[in-house]
Amino acid sequence: MFQGFRQAMAWVHTWFGLVLGFVLMAAFFFGALSVFDREIDRWAIPATRFEPQPMPSFDAVLRPAFERIQPTPEAIEAMRPRVDGPMPAQYDTVGTWSAYTTHRDPVLQLFAGFVVPNARHAGDLLWADATIDPRDGRPLPDDRLKVGSGFFFPLHYGLTLDWRNLGIWIVGLSALVMLAALATGVVMHRHLFREFFTFRPDRARLRSVLDLHNLTGVVALPFHFFFALTGLLIFAATYYFPVGHTQLHELHDLNARLEAGRTGLPHERAGVAAGLADVDAMVADARRRWAEDGKAGDVGFLVLQHVGDANGYVSVYRAGTDRIALVGDGIHYRAATGELIREDPAPTPVERMAQFLTGLHLQHFRHWLLRWLYVLGGLAGAVCIATGFVFFVEKRKRQHARQGRQGARVVDALAVAAVTGMVLAALGILVANRLLPEDLPARATWERCAFWGTWMAALLHAAWRSAPVAQGLPNPAWREQATAIAVLAVSAAVLNWITTGDHLLRTLGAGNWPVAGVDLALLATAAIAAAGAWRLRRRARAVATPRHAVGPEPRHA
Amino acid sequence: MHDSSGAWLLLAAVACALAGMGWLALSLPAHVQQAWGRNAPAGLLRLHRALGAAAVALALVLCLGADHASIAVLVWAMTLSGAALAVAFALAWRPCWLRALAPWMRGRVR
Repeated sequence: MFQGFRQAMAWVHTWFGLVLGFVLMAAFFFGALSVFDREIDRWAIPATRFEPQPMPSFDAVLRPAFERIQPTPEAIEAMRPRVDGPMPAQYDTVGTWSAYTTHRDPVLQLFAGFVVPNARHAGDLLWADATIDPRDGRPLPDDRLKVGSGFFFPLHYGLTLDWRNLGIWIVGLSALVMLAALATGVVMHRHLFREFFTFRPDRARLRSVLDLHNLTGVVALPFHFFFALTGLLIFAATYYFPVGHTQLHELHDLNARLEAGRTGLPHERAGVAAGLADVDAMVADARRRWAEDGKAGDVGFLVLQHVGDANGYVSVYRAGTDRIALVGDGIHYRAATGELIREDPAPTPVERMAQFLTGLHLQHFRHWLLRWLYVLGGLAGAVCIATGFVFFVEKRKRQHARQGRQGARVVDALAVAAVTGMVLAALGILVANRLLPEDLPARATWERCAFWGTWMAALLHAAWRSAPVAQGLPNPAWREQATAIAVLAVSAAVLNWITTGDHLLRTLGAGNWPVAGVDLALLATAAIAAAGAWRLRRRARAVATPRHAVGPEPRHA
Repeated sequence: MHDSSGAWLLLAAVACALAGMGWLALSLPAHVQQAWGRNAPAGLLRLHRALGAAAVALALVLCLGADHASIAVLVWAMTLSGAALAVAFALAWRPCWLRALAPWMRGRVR
């Protein structure tokens, strides 16, 4: 009976893992890169390579920058179907202004929401945004692709399949399968504790691959479990069960109004013009209040609601860099007078748990050791999945070769594309980022094309070279793509030096860790890939030369 | 992020996690065999297990000293994962490195 149960678990683990493992591979690998998304942005956009800045003064920097923001023609067109009658000629009623930064962002993101009369749903604002240099308010180019936060991060959670949030559903399903794979994997593992530290690279290929699969799965089990779970929770709250915004729309509005009555934060404009008191003084007061509570006082998010209206208020939120929980500790002031309206109350135990779990995944904390440990966990997950693929192929390829079946060959080619191909694609976009001319129109689109083109080329190469697998031999594409990784990674670091002058001696000397860190990671990737390629080549030679021909005696003696 | 005392506490926590995971590995006969090429008496295996558990617990205390509790718990859990990987790789390629954790074994080598 137990034998049957264990085999059933193995079936689930093998086949669900195989099918959705390709998605999980992307989620883990690009998730690991997203831990340092802001740093990759700095590398990719040289104009933003300066120190992270605190939230600047509202009067000196933010206000002039906010007042410059106007909606783009594309945004106006996109809004048109949601408005009865023609669009207004100008947008001067500001529903909301907000500014967002983190302790890792040198640049500051500004958002403006404009009131559109006749909007079908009251409260539907026309949004515009801008990026500025917080030191002087100078606008920064907004059309550059933020390769880290604007590409690798969306790949991590949604595969950049935006149509009807399809990617988010696929990744969520994969996270669910990940949880099932962890549970079934623990059931299948015969010696979880006895073989906790076991990795025997000198044993037969099948055994050593399984060792590495078990090792990377088991030692980082808490990481794998909690990241799959919290990822699902974040999706569930935002995308899967948005009842407040869909089925319960009317109730949602009523709730918002009731809440406004309870909190004293007006839900709607009064329609009476009013001035704006000293926002910098409100921010200073909020920081003083946080400090009294023993909390780090950096402002992460500043919101002005109903700008220019008597109902206007200013909300100051804390950047929660000193703890895991994703907290705001918002403090709200009446915009016209600067008087305190309310401080957000302490969260309930359920809210605290939710804040901890989402914060654990979204990592707003300031802790470089923990960030690197997260990268390690993510890469361990990627290795676990990759060795799962290799084990699947190794276990079947000789049998498939005897039977003349192509299954192992197809899976192996897909695995090459999912493992080395994915790294190549990530390097492809970085190389393109440094090679493409600065003023190329639609530069971001070309960079994305470089990514997908490299990945497609890797898949075609893996398929083209896969014939030996059908004879029970290894696919040479593994070592060829490992060599390509080494070449591309070194090229990316060298191109960064050539195009920006920021070589490692300079960035390390200046303590420019975001740029130096990306370059060092590239060089480390190159070293590991080169070592891997070398080992694979040596092994391929040993297989190609029959053992009895290697000895000192000539064969025909 | 940290003042220098926080950084030292974290460094000590990492060292404790490495040693703790190393001792836990050396409480398993197979890994003792890898490190010294022979077996150890059961009493020593139990000693290694106790030392390992103590070092892992001490690592948590050190993490709690360095950061807010919510951060410390995650740093501790992830440091243990990293340390376990490091010990496993050491056992795979340089098992003799683990001898440093149990100098009392030296006199017993035959």
